[in-house]
Amino acid sequence: MIKLTIDGREVEVEPGTTVLEAASKLGIEVPHYCYHPDIGIDGNCRMCLCEVNGNTNKLAIGCKFPVGEGMDVKTASDAVVKARKGVLEFLLINHPLDCTICDQAGECPLQDYAYRFGPGDSRFREPKRKGPKTVEFSDKVMFDTERCILCTRCTRYFEVVRDSRPIGVENMGGASTITLGPNGPITDPYQMNIIDICPVGALTSRDFRFKQRVWFMDFADTICPGCERGCNITAGAYQGKLLRFTPRRNPEVNKSWMCDDGRLSYKTYNLDERVRGATVAGESVAMDDALDKVVELVGDGSGVAILASTVDTCEELAAIGEFAKLSNIEHIWHGEKSWEGDDFLKLPDATPNTAGAKALGFTNVPDEAPALRGLIVAGDVGVPSRLLESLDFLVLQTPVAGALGEAAVVVLPGRTALEKKGSWMNHDGRRQAVKPALDPGADVPADWEIWRDLASAEWTSFAELLALANASLPEVAAIGTDEYSTIVGPNEQAQHLVIQAAKS
Amino acid sequence: MALKMQSILSARFDKENSYHIDTYRADGGYETYLETIKGEKGTPEELVALVKESGLKGRGGAGFSTGMKWSFLPKGTDKPIYLCVNGDESEPGTFKDRQIVEFDPHQLVEGVGITCYAIGAHTAYIYLRCEFALGIRRVKDAIRQAYEAGFFGKDIQGTGFDLDVHVHIGGGAYICGEETSLLNSIEGVRPYPRNKPPFPAVEGLFGDPTIINNVETIANIPHIVKNGAEWYSGFGHPEDPGVRLWCVSGHVNNPGVFEIETGFSLQELIDGPCGGMKNGKKLKAVIPGGSSSKVLMPDEVAQVTMDTPTIRGFDSSLGSAGIIVLDEDTDMVEAVRNLMKFYAHESCGQCTPCREGTPWIVKILNRLCTGKGRQEDMDLLLDLASNIEGRTVCALADGACWPLTSIVKKFRHEFEAKVAAATPVGAS
Repeated sequence: MIKLTIDGREVEVEPGTTVLEAASKLGIEVPHYCYHPDIGIDGNCRMCLCEVNGNTNKLAIGCKFPVGEGMDVKTASDAVVKARKGVLEFLLINHPLDCTICDQAGECPLQDYAYRFGPGDSRFREPKRKGPKTVEFSDKVMFDTERCILCTRCTRYFEVVRDSRPIGVENMGGASTITLGPNGPITDPYQMNIIDICPVGALTSRDFRFKQRVWFMDFADTICPGCERGCNITAGAYQGKLLRFTPRRNPEVNKSWMCDDGRLSYKTYNLDERVRGATVAGESVAMDDALDKVVELVGDGSGVAILASTVDTCEELAAIGEFAKLSNIEHIWHGEKSWEGDDFLKLPDATPNTAGAKALGFTNVPDEAPALRGLIVAGDVGVPSRLLESLDFLVLQTPVAGALGEAAVVVLPGRTALEKKGSWMNHDGRRQAVKPALDPGADVPADWEIWRDLASAEWTSFAELLALANASLPEVAAIGTDEYSTIVGPNEQAQHLVIQAAKS
Repeated sequence: MALKMQSILSARFDKENSYHIDTYRADGGYETYLETIKGEKGTPEELVALVKESGLKGRGGAGFSTGMKWSFLPKGTDKPIYLCVNGDESEPGTFKDRQIVEFDPHQLVEGVGITCYAIGAHTAYIYLRCEFALGIRRVKDAIRQAYEAGFFGKDIQGTGFDLDVHVHIGGGAYICGEETSLLNSIEGVRPYPRNKPPFPAVEGLFGDPTIINNVETIANIPHIVKNGAEWYSGFGHPEDPGVRLWCVSGHVNNPGVFEIETGFSLQELIDGPCGGMKNGKKLKAVIPGGSSSKVLMPDEVAQVTMDTPTIRGFDSSLGSAGIIVLDEDTDMVEAVRNLMKFYAHESCGQCTPCREGTPWIVKILNRLCTGKGRQEDMDLLLDLASNIEGRTVCALADGACWPLTSIVKKFRHEFEAKVAAATPVGAS
């Protein structure tokens, strides 16, 4: 172990640790743009300059400089403060300062560092450099040359993470710019990650741009429902409508990345029409009456099956299992949904909780299903037509009833993946916390409450349900521990500030 | 110390067919190389020690001890070791390597052979700027002739020593003269300078241990190995010994390349071999070591001797030995604007301070030179330089700041005169 002093405080770290990493261990932030923990070190932005052993002539870059025994590092000495001011003044002289119409505003490390470490003024009296502001890198990504600070995170993302070079740096010196390669628009299915890691508003999402100022939005740290990888995400919404998903760093699951399909899947959770309140035979009824009807239909439970969605949380599935047990329902099955996976993050199982369902005793629908008297469909799930053949009754509990709604005797409301609270277990057996980004309103109660009331269970609170689920599942994986949260890119940090501001 | 001209590196420059292997071999060329690879000149370790003892310093500009640089290679590595010869001579005011590659390429090629043996390299790249059209041809011819003579290839002369020498041609960027940019250029990637450490001796070309030496440095090697360390360290100033090719340009009657032992008087060079100031004008300033060195005033020129310890006392440097002489009619603001346009143009754009700072400086100087100067511009220029110097990956930015700050400080009155003559904003 190596012992060194940073800003007068001692710290002990592994050999090979960088000054920036060692400082973050002490909670000291060394500002940086080009360094990103999941792309690596480049050393071009010169924002992380630190003073090492009193050498003010040549400051060291904290992102790359390795720690040494007895080293004395200063991250805020006079020389460092002046150098940072210098770098920020340089970065801003040709920057368009169009924060008023920039989508990055509010979660922009250039704004944040300029505010915290910048000179507060500019001595630049010359005309600014002009450049194209709407360069179409693809149908998903727009590039603004004027806002770019040439940190090259985007080009290095493709090189390091995707082993490709669809974009690169063109020209020299002040004329340098990021440019598309000779093969035309970017086609990579993970290209939108460059938007998040861009520390300024140079790369914007053509889907999200100009839709909303981030400080008016609500954010929820949750999990992408797109597949059983369980990428950690932040869901952003405005007035009950989802506007975007962005990846949230988790080194053990998705690092800082997610696929474009998952990212853009937010749209499917903005429902124009949905089941609100309960209906029996097409007539709106009170929820309690509808539940009484279900109990009556289930009867002694013989010949009845429950088909549950693997979008349902572990807790909801535990509640369903409890209902099935108390009602002597014979079969508890889980649904299936797949898409084409790839060799990076996207897995073929297009639902987030198949592992959780299996752990709670749900099985695949057998190829030769027994003749059923009744079927209860729980959640958003495709129903194999062979199950519908001999039914006396069908109960649907779902956000959107669709064509099956007409065949159902009872239709109960359900919450979407982005309205749920609980946990999902990913393909690795990692149980991750799921938080609601939207509140569908009182006429769409939480799914687990419906199952609780149906089962007339002894437990009543979510905490009790959680204890029930925990009995047969691993603990919910910790996220946002110190280990993950201290070394984050500026984008993530900015986002946390926004989240705090939005909540306070 | 008296000015002592020499004819070692430049011995064949004026001979007919000086670049042909026959001319070179008639003077005993390649004998030292052949003796070296047969082990007659000592072990590789002894050769490195010899070069260290000779006091030879890098002739590219930084002036680091050549033997010391070689000794930084990791011992007993199982990785290949590379030699890269830096012939990207682009420093304004510098044109000595060009003389070597055009008029005595075999001297360089023999130096490459001996150096590779000394450092354990079996592959060498000679990196030449593309503008050296003639030099490229001559070096390629020289390498071909050396192969034909059986000096390169596999198991050379039955010694078991293998060596292949390649020429790599640059694309025209000044930054490729920065040694790690040069490596990136050879590798075929964008030639951004690399962060150090790791230094190239540990992790260089293709990630392997690499020595990068200037053309003139390598051209010295055959002479040093042939004549010994003491012979070489006996030349010139005892603390910075040797013979160098000095490039004189500017307002003198007889500009050109002069081979002189270190430690001579700069004034004597101007008045003597250079034939004095052109048109009998008075001296205004000298940029002594290529454009990236700090300017000297006439009284400093009168006192300084051309060796590292002495010129350091005048807060300047020998750099690449490109001596630019400026007479009394020179507009120093225009002169520094010209230089800064060069640096802004040649900045690779990797580091924020250099990429953004050098064009800003040019914009300020453009204003000063077009009647739009402001009183605060001089202090602003100095402060911008302080935010660039020592804040970047490579020394290009430092090299840009040194002439700027020294000229602003020493010729501030010329800047002030421009400001005083400026048209006030709004006046027409």
